[in-house]
Amino acid sequence: MLFPARLRLAAAAAPVLLLLGACSGPTTTGPGDALAVALQFPPRSAYAFDADDGALLMTLGVAETLTAVDADARPAPSLATAWEQTEDPRTWRFTLREGVTFHDGTPLTADAVVTAITYITGVTAPPRAIAGIGLTATAEEAAPEKAPAEEAAPEKAPADRASAGEAVLLTTAQPDPVLPLRMSSGNLGILAPAAYAGGRQPSVIRTATGPYVLTSVNGADSAVLERNPAYWGTKAGAATVTVRYVTDPQSRALALQSGDVQFAEGLPHASAAAVRSAGGEVVSYPAARTVELLLNQSAKPFGDLRVRRAVTAAIDRNVLAAQVLEGAAVPASDLFGPAVPWGAAAAPPAADAAAAKRLLAEAGHGPDNRLRVRLQTFPNRPEMPVLATAIQSMLADAGITVEVTVGDYAAQEPKLLAGDFDMFLNSRGYLSDFADAASVLSSDYTCTGSYNIDHFCSARFDGLVAGLAATGDVEQRQKGFAKAAAMLTEEAVGVMIVHPNNTVGLRGVTGFTPDPLGVRPVLPPLKPAQLAPAG
Amino acid sequence: MLRRLLLLPPLLLAASVLVFALPRLTGADTVRTVLRARTASAVPDPAAEARVAAEFGLDGSWPEQYLRWLGAAARGDLGYSFVTRTPVAPQLGDALQVSALLAALALVLAAALGIPAGVYAARRPGGWLDRFVTGAGVAGVSVPEFVLAPVLVLLFAVHAGALPAIGWGSPSHVVLPVLTLAVYPAALAGQLVRAETIAVLGSPHVRTARAKGLTPHRVLWWHAARLSTTSVLALSGMFVSGLIGGSVVVEVVFGIPGLGRLLYDAVLAQDLPVVQAGVLAVVAIALVAGVLSEVAQRALDPVPE
Repeated sequence: MLFPARLRLAAAAAPVLLLLGACSGPTTTGPGDALAVALQFPPRSAYAFDADDGALLMTLGVAETLTAVDADARPAPSLATAWEQTEDPRTWRFTLREGVTFHDGTPLTADAVVTAITYITGVTAPPRAIAGIGLTATAEEAAPEKAPAEEAAPEKAPADRASAGEAVLLTTAQPDPVLPLRMSSGNLGILAPAAYAGGRQPSVIRTATGPYVLTSVNGADSAVLERNPAYWGTKAGAATVTVRYVTDPQSRALALQSGDVQFAEGLPHASAAAVRSAGGEVVSYPAARTVELLLNQSAKPFGDLRVRRAVTAAIDRNVLAAQVLEGAAVPASDLFGPAVPWGAAAAPPAADAAAAKRLLAEAGHGPDNRLRVRLQTFPNRPEMPVLATAIQSMLADAGITVEVTVGDYAAQEPKLLAGDFDMFLNSRGYLSDFADAASVLSSDYTCTGSYNIDHFCSARFDGLVAGLAATGDVEQRQKGFAKAAAMLTEEAVGVMIVHPNNTVGLRGVTGFTPDPLGVRPVLPPLKPAQLAPAG
Repeated sequence: MLRRLLLLPPLLLAASVLVFALPRLTGADTVRTVLRARTASAVPDPAAEARVAAEFGLDGSWPEQYLRWLGAAARGDLGYSFVTRTPVAPQLGDALQVSALLAALALVLAAALGIPAGVYAARRPGGWLDRFVTGAGVAGVSVPEFVLAPVLVLLFAVHAGALPAIGWGSPSHVVLPVLTLAVYPAALAGQLVRAETIAVLGSPHVRTARAKGLTPHRVLWWHAARLSTTSVLALSGMFVSGLIGGSVVVEVVFGIPGLGRLLYDAVLAQDLPVVQAGVLAVVAIALVAGVLSEVAQRALDPVPE
């Protein structure tokens, strides 16, 4: 009976082993003044500021920058309370907020800011917010007298405001009117000097200034945040937050439904009803992103404006947003959408197959000379292949035969940049680094732009973008962005298809504030529901 | 046996050439890939690309890069992740521990369920237990993990609220992933053991054992089941390597930091050092597990070589 005895032992041991599995790491947050959240994107590079993790640290409410961004995409006070251009227009003077301490207890000083800025300017690949501008930082001693504590409108700050505290001088190679806005980029978070000791990647554990303290990190799997009791501003909504990075969208939805987490980013549209039926709330808001059909203008057939306009006329963007994506996006009439103050508000025109056929005929394409093109896209964003197929069908109705190819983006990029393609369906965030569109307009659409996939080249457009470099007034810049976008539409540079929505789910939590710009802390305002004020 | 052991090093070397070359044959620019892995919207920047190429030794020819990588790997240095800029070896070690734990628990559970079910089903072919085990076995091998995992989450986490839906950090986090992983090997083992046991029960040595007056229970387990489980052992190598390297779906769905998810994330981010090391580890595990299962199979099989 030896063998069955072993089997019985194994059978008895299995459930015990299951329950005693020797795992490590944080456990799910329990009830009370604690939250658990499921975020879509894990840290890409161990919370490095020269990666997208800088923005993640800002989202978490851990790291802060010298400036923030207000609802109109203007620079607003954060670790700096005021800023002004000095007599030398290449230098800006940022006055630091008083009474701020890092999570390790050391005070925020001008020297600490200089250490942080100097580090990020010296990395192998500096973030785009400051790449190529020749940024340097020096500390300036504060004057002994202090100004009133109130925060004035930053760009109209009186000169004596600088006496409020220590100040930092930031200098660029050329005068830079948008430096205060650049300083809001998540890549430019300020950590305590101890974080930079050792010459390696700065440590973000207990070294930042935000409303949450990052106390432990479990790789790209999870992290634990604790409320910063010494925070200079509004205190964080929960005592502790367990952050789980869950890359699978369905898993995030199920975690919200089961109560494992109280907040989840990037919910799949199809799970919204299930989340609501489980007592949750689903919030959708526009993202600063555009799905664009890029048309290669360096070769036939899209070097011909009539063909580009024909493609534009043949695609019904309202149908793509409302029916193909089932409302998970808004139709795009412009490069910039409702996420930004300068974005187009009007809906795009409906498809006009007759106009498309007429334009094609003018360009020499008809039933006897049917236009045949390739359409490439990538699968990492699930909506892309779906949209490509729908566009293929719409263009077929207008008399254009489209061959769709879905492949890895990285493998396609060299040929795209070399102009070896017809059409490419791309998804692009237009506020990648800070709340300003000049860098995207420059890299993607100017003649010398390094990411100008559609090979559009217009001296008029380049002149408009070049003018932005000298425009400091935020309102004027935003008008310039809108004008540039209108020019791209007029030239049918590409077809702006849709602006995807961000969708989040909440269950047992209050205080969520949508941030279409994607530049503000998301977690600090969240409060466990039982702690929310009555009514 | 010795021949198989001698084949291990050249097979691993061949695998290393493949895992090194395949990503590079896709046409992707490796340096751009590094930058895009860190910053999704990174635009081409020749100066930054030159610095990154120098930093990661990507500025030489492919053979140079391969030999440098192979030499370092032979010394236990698997390089640095393009993405996290941390050594690959500790990441791989941590992930392997998690996956090995999952795989071991899943195998134990699969054996504990599948082998007795197959043996008892074979006792009366066509009986109600046999029909149930056969039906459950067909269902078990037919339902893919990407269906089973969400169904188990819906049942036990969302509706019953008894177990967590995602995460890794407590014993309760282990239950659903292990159940999901165990279903396929349990079903397959049950079917195999059932078929083998039915065949063995009709063999001369079993008839002899019965004639000698041994109890039916002893005949079933000592003389029939022991032989029939050798076929399961023959497949256990495949199960082990499949569970460790192939648990991608389970680890992604349940958010478990194992080897499957490490590889999944690395492939998405095109983190070549991690992909190369991870795939090599899976290949090595598969080869070693195959040899070990053969050893175990021969130990249990009473037929002399």
